[in-house]
Amino acid sequence: MSAINRQNTHIIPVDFQYHQPETVGEAVKLLEAHPDAKPIAGGTDLVPKMKQRLLEPGHLVNLKRIRELQGVEDRGGEVYIGAATKLRAVERSETVQRRLPLLYSCVRSIGSVQIRNMGTLGGNVCNASPAADGALGLVALDATVQVAGPGGTRTVKAGDFFAGPGKTVLGRGELVTGFTVPVPGPDVGTCFISVGRTALDISTISIAVALRMKGGAVQEARVALGSVAPTPLRLPEVENWLKGRELDEATVREAAGMVSGGIKPITDIRGTAEYRREAARGMAMEALTRAGGLEGRSQG
Amino acid sequence: MSHASTLQVLGRDTPRQDGVAKVTGREKYASDMSLPGMLVARVLKSPHPHARVKSIDTRGVSDPQAVTLTPQEVPGIRFCPRLVSTPEATYKDWRVLTDKPRYVGEPVAAVAAESEEAAQRALEAMRVEYEPLAAVYDAFASMEEGAEPIHDVIELNDQALKVERNVACQMEAREGDPEEGFKAAAHVVERTYRTSRRYHAQLETKSVLVRPEPGGGVTIWSTTQTLHNTRILIHEIFGIPMGRIRVVKVPLGGSFGSSIQVNTVVPIAVALALKSRRPVKLSLTREEDLHDHCSYQMVFRLKLGADSDGKLVAGHLDAWLDIGGHQVQAYPLLGCVVGWWVSLYRLPHKSYVGKAVYTNKVPSCAFRGYGNPQITWAVETLMDELAEKAGVDPLDFRLMNYIGKGDLFWGQGPTVKSIIQSCGVEEILSRGSEMIDWYNRPKAGSQRGRYRRGVGMGRGYHTSSAGAPVPGTVVDFGGAMVKLNEDGTFDYVSAMMDHGGGTMDANAKIVAEELGVPIHKVNIVNADTGTTVYDVCTHASRGIYSGGGAALKVARQVKDKIRENAARLLDAYPHALKFRYDPERDQAVIYAEGVSGRELTFKELAYAMRHKNLGTVAAVDSYRQPSCPPHFTGYFVEVEVDTWTGRVRPLRVVAGADIGTVINPKLAAGQVHGGFAQGWSMVVNEDLPHDPATGDLLNRGFLADYKVPTTRDMPNLDDFTVFFTDTYEPTGPFGAKGIGEGALNPVAGAVANAVQNALGVRFYDLPITKDMILAAVGGKEGQA
Ligand SMILES: Cc1cc2nc3c(=O)[nH]c(=O)nc-3n(C[C@H](O)[C@H](O)[C@H](O)COP(=O)(O)OP(=O)(O)OC[C@H]3O[C@@H](n4cnc5c(N)ncnc54)[C@H](O)[C@@H]3O)c2cc1C
Repeated sequence: MSAINRQNTHIIPVDFQYHQPETVGEAVKLLEAHPDAKPIAGGTDLVPKMKQRLLEPGHLVNLKRIRELQGVEDRGGEVYIGAATKLRAVERSETVQRRLPLLYSCVRSIGSVQIRNMGTLGGNVCNASPAADGALGLVALDATVQVAGPGGTRTVKAGDFFAGPGKTVLGRGELVTGFTVPVPGPDVGTCFISVGRTALDISTISIAVALRMKGGAVQEARVALGSVAPTPLRLPEVENWLKGRELDEATVREAAGMVSGGIKPITDIRGTAEYRREAARGMAMEALTRAGGLEGRSQG
Repeated sequence: MSHASTLQVLGRDTPRQDGVAKVTGREKYASDMSLPGMLVARVLKSPHPHARVKSIDTRGVSDPQAVTLTPQEVPGIRFCPRLVSTPEATYKDWRVLTDKPRYVGEPVAAVAAESEEAAQRALEAMRVEYEPLAAVYDAFASMEEGAEPIHDVIELNDQALKVERNVACQMEAREGDPEEGFKAAAHVVERTYRTSRRYHAQLETKSVLVRPEPGGGVTIWSTTQTLHNTRILIHEIFGIPMGRIRVVKVPLGGSFGSSIQVNTVVPIAVALALKSRRPVKLSLTREEDLHDHCSYQMVFRLKLGADSDGKLVAGHLDAWLDIGGHQVQAYPLLGCVVGWWVSLYRLPHKSYVGKAVYTNKVPSCAFRGYGNPQITWAVETLMDELAEKAGVDPLDFRLMNYIGKGDLFWGQGPTVKSIIQSCGVEEILSRGSEMIDWYNRPKAGSQRGRYRRGVGMGRGYHTSSAGAPVPGTVVDFGGAMVKLNEDGTFDYVSAMMDHGGGTMDANAKIVAEELGVPIHKVNIVNADTGTTVYDVCTHASRGIYSGGGAALKVARQVKDKIRENAARLLDAYPHALKFRYDPERDQAVIYAEGVSGRELTFKELAYAMRHKNLGTVAAVDSYRQPSCPPHFTGYFVEVEVDTWTGRVRPLRVVAGADIGTVINPKLAAGQVHGGFAQGWSMVVNEDLPHDPATGDLLNRGFLADYKVPTTRDMPNLDDFTVFFTDTYEPTGPFGAKGIGEGALNPVAGAVANAVQNALGVRFYDLPITKDMILAAVGGKEGQA
């Protein structure tokens, strides 16, 4: 039967068993026991895929009852965010607003209030979409992903977590429990920008930049782009090139040219490859300018 | 002094009778309804853009409650789902279920079962064998020799009609001598324009509930803009006597023209209900709805010529309509495209060739403005270019050439002509241009830097109904009933539908105004085909002009009857009696002035009439409006173009509208806001492309990849000014005209002209995407 007749968004046209574990341990056991199981958090990515019959898991393991996966915690040098924390809670957390303004902007740009009331940060990351705004922020902030599985716990750098569109490095029985995000020092400037077809849209292209500055010079740079590659993409060549350089208009323009040339986007329904490459240049100019505190001089 | 100052009810904002139910979510739409014992239906849709069905095997359906339906089991009738035109203008090429699908998503079979889940399972157990045919997705490729014929034979006026080169229908028109006209023209511009396909994105997807009745009848609750045409079509297809078909009014969750035709789900559900002898509900998913209807994609070659004084002298228009797999109303639309075009500006010499072409895509149907937004965009874009060439300010150029009061108007096509009797174009343009500071707008292309601002304008109109002094090929009349209840209130009964814009409330206000009572004294009755006289359809922005006209005609008759009966009871002369409203008693009073005791409240009148067996004061009548008055609109828009990302933002909007007497200021302004949002999106965003690899929609029907704007994409409310002109339409109820479609029609032209003003670059394809803007500006230049 053709896809057009198998889809039915009135219902979830998939037969599955539903589980509601209360601890990470139980969840891991369930995931390990059923190879065709999927964790479900907010369901805002997963359920549409099931309605479209792109995914047909035989078991759903609900993570929302697990206390350990909830909440934002200020741990001094880093902030810990539970995987099943609602995006709206992340956005409203004073800790995030104050200490992680970059992540705050990324999360705020996700969908609408209704979507953020359902969706979680863990879901945004584990869905492994190259367009995921929360994931992009975590990559640019060099966050660490906390993983629990049958063999215990382990950590993965956010930048190493993605294996392709919809694919992560999680193994059988593993789930993400949370994220530790290093708090950038007062010498770090950040900026996130995204462009969509309308205000309420998945990004056609997005960029997150963090620059550690000393005087007018870049000490350390992180430049990450969304929707330009199979995964959220860091650009180490640009980052290394920026390191040690005086950040002026010429530097910004040259770095932006490297960003534009350093990505290999595709054409899809949201935009063409040429558009993404061209827009990346302008967006990189703006993001570097703002993160580097050059604002006001960039509009010419 | 304004004519409006004597009005009591009209011109004031009043709460809507359906308001509370709507905002509290208690309103029940067709898609919310259910009945005991009801089955839920699903449609089996063609995955092929063009194919022949070789066989349908339903043996895999194991559910004993499931009832399947195949093309062999439905009446073998060809029909047109839209019944607004006379037979010689109605092309029939539809069937209830097809054995030759012509677009991905076309209904091939159906099944009804105990629940949505059961129906889905049964659907997946059906097997269809197809023989795929070559498919074509472009109107020009479709007309080429050797292209696969999409329809061989269709029907017109009950005669078989052979289709040649996939041209569904065509029309030509000519006045004066265009060739000579162009020779005499000092300035000529010719351009080719291409619009996109847009999805209506109405809130409620197409839905129907059908209950079979003992004796072979059916009761139907459906998403429709026309109760009576639904009944006529079901009668035509199934042969059920019309008295046994009851189509009941149910609130409609938006439509924008997509339910002028009887929706595809309706006859399918009727067939399933007749077969299963149980109520059947069929409600499309959003994805199915996107495969069900969209706007007409049009390509225009437009040429206009002006003399050295800036007066237009000649015009030629070629129009190609890509209509998709079936005709809903392509032929009448060909008439409207030329009508919209020639009724914008005076053209002594003009010619037109219009062709509607079949392609293997989702069938197109009316979408707010019915082709008018498309052609007005092209004309308003070209008017700017021609003005520039002639060295005239574009605004002045329009003022020199527009069609207004006293001119002949035939927006609704060559058979619907009348003379314009009210016109606020000058007021719109002069007030609007002052508010936006038009003559100080930037010089096109003068800006550098990342953000560039531009100001553009566009003007236009839409008809209010398709009325005229003589009959044409468009059916347009309505009717109403009004009766006095025993407590002094009135019931207003009409087959007219309200899409959500407040049409029925507006008409109830007209009744209240005429009868001199507050709006809460007029109750809107939820009627059906059995209790109403014919009304053609709520479309063509005719709800107030025609529907309100019918309501007023009948209210006047009721008023006369009140007079006659009161005269008898008061022993007075009917023509000498006066009316007033007594707020203390909350009653209208009829009285003989200066004679104490000779008065009756409406309640007392109805009470006395009941006890004296004098009958009910009521009137029912049909009404044909004598004219087709355009309601005029004009937009001035300021945009900001980000040359780094290609993003365009609306900064400021000034919109003027001549709608005659304003009945509900806030709702009328709401129409303008919504019209702007849709027109804006038509320019910068919306398109529904097909994937040539599969023939399916590129977004496969998913709304996540069909974006419509939200409030966040619109300017701040403080930066959005709506004003209404002081005009009065002599043929309209209390001077009123329409607004629904005129609110949209000129928006695209205004926005596109603003983008041109900002960048100095003109675009001839819609939508103007970010990609196009970056490519046009050239990334390097943009960052200088
Ligand atoms: C209308 C709409 C608009 C949207 N707009 C945006 C947008 O602008 N930007 C954006 O980035 N996203 C957007 N999204 C996508 C989505 O809302 C977000 O990605 C959201 O964060 C997903 O979280 P969730 O909890 O709903 O994930 P779910 O759907 O529950 O899960 C997503 C995937 O992750 C897996 N998963 C979830 N939690 C875990 C875990 N702890 N460990 C391992 N695997 C896990 C699930 O098995 C599933 O495969 C939008 C979605 C919708 C419907």
